[in-house]
Amino acid sequence: TAGDKIFHFGACRVSMSMTEIRASFTAIKANIQSRDSIRTLSILSHPHSLHKVKSSDRCCITHHLFTFYVDKVFKHCRTEDSFVNRKISSIANSFLSARRKLGQCREQNNCVCGEESMEKFKQILANYEGLNVTSAAMKSLGELDIFLDWME
Amino acid sequence: SGELYCSLPNPRNVHFESINMKNVLHWSAPEGTGDGVLYKVKYAVYGVGKWIRKPECRNINRTWCDLSSETSDHEEQYYASVKAFLNGTCSGWTETTRFNPLTDTQIDPPMVSVSSTDKSISIILTAPEKWKRSPEEESISLLQVYPGLQYNVSVLNKKTKKRWFFSINNNTLVVPWLEPGTAYCVSAQIHVTTPLLDSGFSKEHCIATLKDK
Repeated sequence: TAGDKIFHFGACRVSMSMTEIRASFTAIKANIQSRDSIRTLSILSHPHSLHKVKSSDRCCITHHLFTFYVDKVFKHCRTEDSFVNRKISSIANSFLSARRKLGQCREQNNCVCGEESMEKFKQILANYEGLNVTSAAMKSLGELDIFLDWME
Repeated sequence: SGELYCSLPNPRNVHFESINMKNVLHWSAPEGTGDGVLYKVKYAVYGVGKWIRKPECRNINRTWCDLSSETSDHEEQYYASVKAFLNGTCSGWTETTRFNPLTDTQIDPPMVSVSSTDKSISIILTAPEKWKRSPEEESISLLQVYPGLQYNVSVLNKKTKKRWFFSINNNTLVVPWLEPGTAYCVSAQIHVTTPLLDSGFSKEHCIATLKDK
């Protein structure tokens, strides 16, 4: 569909409605980020930047991050604002679909998980576990553009 | 830090204005204050634990501060904050929202150069460069920053007022089968699909096709 983008993660090709995801995130970015008062901690980008992940590990890290957002983040991000909730659901459905596609390909193509990228992903989980679940989920959702920027 | 009790209202509307990733912090004076207000500025890289003062924007009376150098890594995100001082008292800090140079910048239109034959015009487009500290520094085209960057091109026949639109990925376009001895005006815009960013259209560049031999 229009606005779909095809990503190459190693041998895997995944199409995602990036225009729709970006539009949904942009619509709620200020609302979500204003709920995150912790400036000094990032879930995704510090101490290790996603941008330092080797290209050979992109497939593995991306699949882990899809799983992270689907299983840990979106379900803890309900707000009192129905508009925001609808946008979150739209993004979550897009991630669910992308994870399924990447998951299928991953099994066929043995998406390699290098030691460095696993270390990176463990750090992301540690950053997440270091906060109470709602704060961690909101902060992670507020950092969605960091993940999207890196993917693109 | 032993600061006074701050009874001055806060600066207002503290925000980044960014063009081609030249990132300038702007704000409005605290409500009800006239001349004589001074300001200081600090900024922070999101996720890193400290605020950093900007010495060149300490005790300034203007309401902007260029933080392009401090926010030049477009893989990071930033906050900035401003505090006001007047007649021995001060305000609290007012912060920006989280600033992402990659998605929150505005892009200038492309440069357009045109040439013509009798029946066609050739258009070459150049994307603007990312802001850089000094002319000696290596130039980075926004094409490198936004790999999905495209150009929308408008071509107008001045005589018939007929207009065509083209959307191209590379930076050259040849428009064939035109009328000899006719003026055509070209204007172009940059379009990035994701993140969604559109420049304005460039001013029109007009050229006449050569007369028939």
